[in-house]
Amino acid sequence: MPTPQVLNDIIRLLLQLMPAMALICLVLAGVALRMEGGSTFAIGGSFTKWALWGVIMLSLPHLLLWFNFFGLPVPVAGGAIGTPWLDGIQVDVSTFVTDFLIGRVTVVLAAFFVLRALLDAVHGGSPLASIVTAMFLLAIPATADLITSLETGTRFSAVDVLDGLWTYVAGRIMPAAAGLAVVAAIFNFVANRPSMRFVGAAIGFLTVSALWRLVQGMM
Amino acid sequence: MVFENGIVNLTSWLGNVILPTLAGLFFAIAILRFVGPGQHQRWMYAGLLALMVSGILRGLETFSSQQAWDDPDLYWMSLMNLVNWTCNVMMPLYGVVQLVVGTLHFAGIGHRMYQGGSWMRHFVAAAGCFMLSGIVRLAEWFVIQGTGGVS
Repeated sequence: MPTPQVLNDIIRLLLQLMPAMALICLVLAGVALRMEGGSTFAIGGSFTKWALWGVIMLSLPHLLLWFNFFGLPVPVAGGAIGTPWLDGIQVDVSTFVTDFLIGRVTVVLAAFFVLRALLDAVHGGSPLASIVTAMFLLAIPATADLITSLETGTRFSAVDVLDGLWTYVAGRIMPAAAGLAVVAAIFNFVANRPSMRFVGAAIGFLTVSALWRLVQGMM
Repeated sequence: MVFENGIVNLTSWLGNVILPTLAGLFFAIAILRFVGPGQHQRWMYAGLLALMVSGILRGLETFSSQQAWDDPDLYWMSLMNLVNWTCNVMMPLYGVVQLVVGTLHFAGIGHRMYQGGSWMRHFVAAAGCFMLSGIVRLAEWFVIQGTGGVS
């Protein structure tokens, strides 16, 4: 008995809404990032939870390949949505998320985080946390594209994306963070606060991959 | 807009725009502190360091790129290179500075000609105030001369 078209279209609708949902997950991840420190985050905290959900949303079709691997065929319906009103829902929701939430609300949210950075500085804290969060929010579309480009199309795709993100952070973000650590070391030196830990951290930021290999080698 | 670009540009802005600008302020504060009872050396060194952010980062990058990127000993070797550089490059230079200071003391500067005396301190501070731009330019010149490294 063939699957009714409306059911196939509902499946198509849900799958095609996944990229939009991933963008929302990344927005929530950005907000959680600031709550967890901004320049740091808790493993197992809200930031990692929402980032993981974002990755899962984007790689869900590939995760379903596990059912085929287990011998349970999943009739994933590809192609366009045939039912007009379901197709309309998909277009409307995607447009709402892309144009309104990501295109406008997130930008305003990032602007508020820049304001928050100034307030942090007034209260004697570091403005870096809010600045980093603002940058994360402004870069959400690019981050979603990055996650998509890291997909391998296999049933391991979700883990491959996380692996790729780790490599991206270790190889691209951390060397830039080393420069920030040097700047922080000088500011701390001026303020008569401990600065050597930033020098050690800068070297660590420049050698993250090697530290990972070192830990592996110790096992 | 890419997150990586944001972080890189933030670092460049802080290191190449803000801190070199603040260097002048740090030297000015050093002169003000020199007149009063507070410690002024920290601000003077801070002025020099503020001009050397890129150089310090390039130095750390050099220390941390002497082995393969996935060599487990990379962090250790980076620290080793930092220690070697400190002990074999900076300490001899510091030794030369100490020799100069020792010679000056031997010549009587410091007790027979006491630069910490009130009248001389104020004259030196006045000269520093008048020459502040020149001092910053001189510090910049020293930093530029050092871009080729110490041979």
